[in-house]
Amino acid sequence: MSQKTLAQPLLVRPAKQKKRSLFAGDTRLGWLLVSPALLVVLGMVGYPFVEAIRISFTDRMVGRGPGEWVGLANYAYILGWPDFSEMVVRTVLIALTAVFLKTVVGLILAVALNQTFRGRNILRGVFMLPWILPTYIIVLVWRWIFDGQTGLLNQILVSWGVLSENYPFLARTESAIAALLFVLVWKGYPFYALTFLAGMQTISYDLYDAAKVDGAGRLGRFRHITLPGLRQVMGVVILLSTIWTMNSLEIPLLLTGGGPSNDTEVFPLLTYHLAMQNFRLGEGAALPIMMLPIIAILVLAVAGAMDKEAAQ
Amino acid sequence: MTRLFDRVPESVFRILSFVVISFLLLLILFPLYFMLTTAFKFEGEIYSELTWLPREPTLSNFRDVIVNFHIPVYLRNTLIVALSTTAIVVVISVLAAYALTRLRFPGRAVMARGVLFVYLIPGSLMLIPMYLIIANLRLKDSYLGLIVANMSFSVPFCTWLMMGYLRSISSEIEEASLIDGCTRLLSLWYIVIPLSIPGIVTAMIFIFNNVWNEFIFALVLAQDERHRMISVGLSNFYRSDYYMVGPMMAGSLIAMTPVVILYILAQRYVVSGLAAGAVKG
Repeated sequence: MSQKTLAQPLLVRPAKQKKRSLFAGDTRLGWLLVSPALLVVLGMVGYPFVEAIRISFTDRMVGRGPGEWVGLANYAYILGWPDFSEMVVRTVLIALTAVFLKTVVGLILAVALNQTFRGRNILRGVFMLPWILPTYIIVLVWRWIFDGQTGLLNQILVSWGVLSENYPFLARTESAIAALLFVLVWKGYPFYALTFLAGMQTISYDLYDAAKVDGAGRLGRFRHITLPGLRQVMGVVILLSTIWTMNSLEIPLLLTGGGPSNDTEVFPLLTYHLAMQNFRLGEGAALPIMMLPIIAILVLAVAGAMDKEAAQ
Repeated sequence: MTRLFDRVPESVFRILSFVVISFLLLLILFPLYFMLTTAFKFEGEIYSELTWLPREPTLSNFRDVIVNFHIPVYLRNTLIVALSTTAIVVVISVLAAYALTRLRFPGRAVMARGVLFVYLIPGSLMLIPMYLIIANLRLKDSYLGLIVANMSFSVPFCTWLMMGYLRSISSEIEEASLIDGCTRLLSLWYIVIPLSIPGIVTAMIFIFNNVWNEFIFALVLAQDERHRMISVGLSNFYRSDYYMVGPMMAGSLIAMTPVVILYILAQRYVVSGLAAGAVKG
């Protein structure tokens, strides 16, 4: 081999060789490092997911062995159930209303907090409280406040003379739904506000200054600079929150338990009642599976609405 | 309308903001204030009338929950489960997140995307199979069962959080160390992990909080008094129509103290984690 041919590869290929040595052995190490997490996900998420589908085709009940294969009977049972469509509409309406209110209140708070004033950081910390405090504590406290006999709200309204006698807020349809929405929003909007605020602070001041020079008013600047600047953050938050709000079990379970007479019975709660109170695991497993397409449609609809908003 | 809004001078706008903030702040503080004051009231006072401050402040509710209602046992159980879950999950997730963001190997992209997907599976779908699996493994009413159930959503969540954090820190120092002959594992230990401490702390706080605040799995998987979690123990103060408001408020104050302290200590980290947009709400 001549000097020339030996030198040439060395001159041409060092970058590639460096790369190869950097990532050599990555495959084995990569799988090794990922394997514990993969095991957890496959064993504790993947396997239960498949199990849920399988159980939904059986008449399995708590404490009665594996159950018989019943095909689509559980699905037919749920579809044929007279209140099914009502329950779906209720779930979707409550989730969408809650998400809408959280977005509006969150935006208002974010705009209000997006100014420089003393104590802003402390205030931001206080506004995070609903989000960091345990959900069950928050719901139990609000349930006591709304309680019809000894509840705080009744005590206040009666002592102020607004009500002449106690009103059972959680035992009347309208007020129970309102209370559920209120607690969902109360617990959820601070997170929206703080993520929106974080997003607003990444928008350059130059844009606002330029808009001011061009004569854009406050509302115009909000619509044409703040909202577009927040689009991505808002998109992620609203999408995730729509899914989570739809799936929220803890808040309705502890606040109303589905009552009065199923008026706040949303699908996660119905799943819980079917499985843990009636011990009908097959039907309980079938219901959330049936809701998956509805969740998917809802997510697509929300995503579509936001795209349309952006196109305007 | 638009014109009107634009003509509002800046000072009026500030006052308007102030009013909005005050109103929302009052709504936030209202239940918390009454939780705090009611915890120090006697039962008679709670049910009979509205008082803004306890007429005769008492610690009897706290004595009740500590002596008569086994709250210390529930707190110990919750602490054991929360600390164990946090320790296990953070190790598993940091290793996985490192591999998924820094190493190049076939299957990486699919798994990286899968993490988010797993995170979106409805909890109500997992409830029944998880209950059956835990029961079949004879892990009902055990710490291990609760740890396993909590791991199922903590591992994808924490991996996702750590992936976001690792992507945000430069890999230049790490690559320099590799060129100088450092192995992957050594560089993970001596370079990547020290650089990621804020992210790891954030992740640990989130996991601990999630486990500490978890209610549904705790309710379904640990009914036994000896393994009961604090969330279930406190919700039992509301039995059908009989509310034990005083003990409930005192217990709530005790249960939320660790969460609040942790949060105050780590607010800086939590805010940065929040900015990453990776938090449930």
